[in-house]
Amino acid sequence: MSFIEVSNISKTYKISKRKSGVPGMLANLFVPKYENKEAVKNVSFSIEKGEMVGFVGPNGAGKSTTIKMLSGILYPDTGEINVSGLIPYKQRKEYVSRIGVVFGQKSQLQWDLPVIDSFELLKAIYSIPDDVYKKNLDRYMEMLDMDKFIKQPVRQLSLGQRMRADIAAALLHSPEIVFFDEPTIGVDVVGKDAIRNFIKDLNAEDGVTMIFTTHDMQDIEKTCNRLVIISEGSKIYDGTLDGVRKLHGSSRQLDVYFMNDSEVAEIPDVEIVEVDKRHSQFIFDGKKVHINDLMSHLLGTYNVKDINISEPDIESIIRKIYSREKVAG
Amino acid sequence: MRDTIHLVAVYSKTTMRAWFQYRVDAFLKSLAVFLREATGIIVVFFTLLKFDTLGGWNIYEMLFLFSILFLTYGIMIIFFTGLRDFGKTVRDGSFDRFLLRPRGLLFQIIFVNSDWFAALGHGGLGIALFLISAGKAGINWNVQNALYYVFTIAGGVLIQGAIFLFIAVLNIYLLQTDSLKEMLYWNMRKFAGYPISIFHKIIQTLMIYVMPFAFVNYFPAQYLLRKDDMNSYPEIFMYITPIVGIVMYLVAYAFWRFSIRYYKSSGN
Repeated sequence: MSFIEVSNISKTYKISKRKSGVPGMLANLFVPKYENKEAVKNVSFSIEKGEMVGFVGPNGAGKSTTIKMLSGILYPDTGEINVSGLIPYKQRKEYVSRIGVVFGQKSQLQWDLPVIDSFELLKAIYSIPDDVYKKNLDRYMEMLDMDKFIKQPVRQLSLGQRMRADIAAALLHSPEIVFFDEPTIGVDVVGKDAIRNFIKDLNAEDGVTMIFTTHDMQDIEKTCNRLVIISEGSKIYDGTLDGVRKLHGSSRQLDVYFMNDSEVAEIPDVEIVEVDKRHSQFIFDGKKVHINDLMSHLLGTYNVKDINISEPDIESIIRKIYSREKVAG
Repeated sequence: MRDTIHLVAVYSKTTMRAWFQYRVDAFLKSLAVFLREATGIIVVFFTLLKFDTLGGWNIYEMLFLFSILFLTYGIMIIFFTGLRDFGKTVRDGSFDRFLLRPRGLLFQIIFVNSDWFAALGHGGLGIALFLISAGKAGINWNVQNALYYVFTIAGGVLIQGAIFLFIAVLNIYLLQTDSLKEMLYWNMRKFAGYPISIFHKIIQTLMIYVMPFAFVNYFPAQYLLRKDDMNSYPEIFMYITPIVGIVMYLVAYAFWRFSIRYYKSSGN
């Protein structure tokens, strides 16, 4: 039995279908019509203690609904969730005292008050013992470099500072599981790095189980070892990040820079992306197209200044997976 | 228990601090609420200067009737601001945050926010009207009547709290209930400033059995003032304000308990 056990959960939302116009409005009022939307379809997975798992998927894929069920906010329609013996949506109070949740888009801090006031309030809400509170606070202050802004009202903080404060707020009660919903959204590069490093350190030092949802593949690359891809409510991949790469391992990208403006003619089995007149990308499957042939063709046909070959980045792989049907997990 | 009391204290400290961040602004806003509500009273005051009495009630008796209405609202809003704003809380997703904290949901809604401006505006007006009218309305302030007054204020707070709770629960199903609240609560409240005996039977019935504002101020004031128009109502009505409050609150609370399951299973 794993630490977190999710078996066959499904969730369907009822969405009211609105008609427009005056007769439509009356119809909405008296005979509302609903449309069922299957947000999550028969999803199962298990997570071990101390794992870091990233959930990715396009908007509306069902990531947030899955996380909401995992954190006890929503009941699944069918299926079961068990977290070390607790059922999140049934034993809410007991369960939530053991988890922390960071919503990147929704702060839990008091907007008009200094950060420390919000922390004091959380101390009371979670009944955190004085010594634990002090220990955690000191530690996060240092790790997240918060002493500069801890006494400032939240409304004066930069987005990066606010996010750091929010992360600390979710961790003050030493949760065993932490959910991060888009934790780096809108934060600048330096801020993102600080957040990712902190999350990694915390996982390494305390063995806290961490579950992410994100759009930023860098978040996943830099923190998680496991990736779950959800698309249209179904799990379409569950495995390591390298595994995803291997699925598309034979794919290559060739960047060619020309000496002068060049029109590139089509080549069989090669996808060509013209970045600008002097730079084109050739994406191809290494098993189908031989790199030597392609290179000699290009060098023979065009006046080439520079060439660079690479694996496609993880973003383009994921984008490909979304657009395709299910791949083997 | 001690833990809960401590939390309530911290919550109160936090909300007070947040509301009084800008002291001048806080004072002006409270004053604005006070003046807005007082304007209505002043109109009644000058009208009565011309007519002397309204349905047998003189100006001080009327002001006493008003004072109960404002005082109970002022106290009620300290506790039930979260319910007043519950629609917004559900719509913007803040309610999810309550679900993620190891505390009772209603407890959090009640203590997480207090509209101190409304509390001071309405409560301040209630106290001012009480001070003006309590002596001159001819009430005998012995211990028994004073005790009655305290219990009846508590009952009036509960009655209005229950109405707020009930309308808040409807948000779970409808998402947008502001106009419903306007219609049910605020429009009926406009009648509550006057002795209900002056109104048409239909309105009296509404005020007693549907939105029981009559139990908030009219019947309690009758107990203390004993006006003739009380003859048309059962005498027992003067004694049951706290019971009406408790029963209404329990019913609203049961409705809440039932509906919150629906929220969790339906999303939003």
